[in-house]
Amino acid sequence: MRALIAFALLLAGMTAGLHADERGVAIPHGTVALVSEEQSIRPGQTLLLGLHFRLEPGWHIYWINPGDSGEPPRLDWHLPAGLRAGVIEWPAPKRLPIPPLVDYGYEGEVLLPVQVISTTELAVGASVTLAADMKAIVCREVCIPAKASLSLSLPVRAERPRELAESAALFSAVRKAMPKPTPAGWRATAKDLGDSFELTVNTGRMISQAWFAPLEPQIIENATPQKTASIKTGIRLILKKSDQLLKPVPQLRGVLVLPQSAYMIDAPVAPAAAKRPKKEQ
Amino acid sequence: MKRGFAWVVSLVVTALSIAALAARVGEPAPNFTATDSNGKAHTLSSYRGKFVVLEWHNQGCPYTKKHYDSGNMERLQKEWTQKGVVWFTVISSAPGTQGYVTAEQENDYMRRMNAAPTAALLDPTGDLGHLYGAKTTPHMFIINPDGVLIYDGAIDDKSTPDQADIPSSTNYVSLALSEAMSGKPVSTPTSRPYGCSVKYAH
Repeated sequence: MRALIAFALLLAGMTAGLHADERGVAIPHGTVALVSEEQSIRPGQTLLLGLHFRLEPGWHIYWINPGDSGEPPRLDWHLPAGLRAGVIEWPAPKRLPIPPLVDYGYEGEVLLPVQVISTTELAVGASVTLAADMKAIVCREVCIPAKASLSLSLPVRAERPRELAESAALFSAVRKAMPKPTPAGWRATAKDLGDSFELTVNTGRMISQAWFAPLEPQIIENATPQKTASIKTGIRLILKKSDQLLKPVPQLRGVLVLPQSAYMIDAPVAPAAAKRPKKEQ
Repeated sequence: MKRGFAWVVSLVVTALSIAALAARVGEPAPNFTATDSNGKAHTLSSYRGKFVVLEWHNQGCPYTKKHYDSGNMERLQKEWTQKGVVWFTVISSAPGTQGYVTAEQENDYMRRMNAAPTAALLDPTGDLGHLYGAKTTPHMFIINPDGVLIYDGAIDDKSTPDQADIPSSTNYVSLALSEAMSGKPVSTPTSRPYGCSVKYAH
């Protein structure tokens, strides 16, 4: 009986199918939907899906490192044999000040891409349902937990999938918003200055404006304004160490966010020159 | 009369916050005097010789609710105060923000929830919160009998608002207290304090 109900629900999900992304599932102060870049799945190929949030103005969700509060959305997938989901990929975040704290996340509308890998086990002709339970926390001044059971049905076809017209703009926008791998020829290095890190990114060109989003928590004080200095060949940032950081860190990993683009940074940290004597009181 | 007293207390906290820098594990915990929901003043330094837990609290926050509605926080308060630990629930929500309570409302809440901290410290100015750099609810601090901060971070390792995650989580506060009481170093002295932002005055 339970299986039958589950099947009926699956069918309902299928008929909602491609139109689901139009409305999405209601969550506090917005909607969320699972959307596909393409109209069908081809066995053996990778499919790009996205978790599409549309929130009321002022409400936000979080980046992989949420900063001082909150937590990132999570997905628990239920996929048929022959399909395997990757991790959520994170577009460059916004710095969200909630004085005296700073969080990292996304306000309003955002698409979080997820790759789904299919194997040749997948039978051509059938339709498959990709389902996931989503958990997130939606915040403005206050936070409200959000849960949604999402699903998307797609036909399995042997031919090359065609783009789904209504998702094209979303996916092309998120491609631009994703942090790019560090370009060849860039050099990112960091120095431990005791109370802070000095991050220098040499790109070959002067950068006038950028900030650093740390991938891991407890590395820098998120709310301390990042001092930047443009240099002829890039930019230098002073990042105050987290009060919670008790051990030296070998690498500074994160995203350098520029006004129009973002880059992944993995900078080796040169240790502090000399230990300062500890001040009493 | 009562108002005048609170004003003096907040001045004391402000003065201390200028003298001491941030709370940092391994260093002396910043001293403070604050008033509880029964009008009693508590000074940290007068609890030398005991372990002191500070628990930042906002009764409207889903992460706080996770630990109170499940009975987890109340259980921890009972367990550790019975072992001689001084447990302060601290409320730094500014008036008009989520979690702000009057003394009477807080006492009602503690009765209703069967909460058992040593006292609930009311910090509507946020002075105590800023002194410790409290970021979230719940954000937990532990001070050892020598007055040194030995833990700064989350209540446990599952940063979700789901009660169902509690049984499988590692409680960092219990872990740190157990280790410190048996003379061992605290294995996890810091962690990311998950939860809602503390609702400070702007």
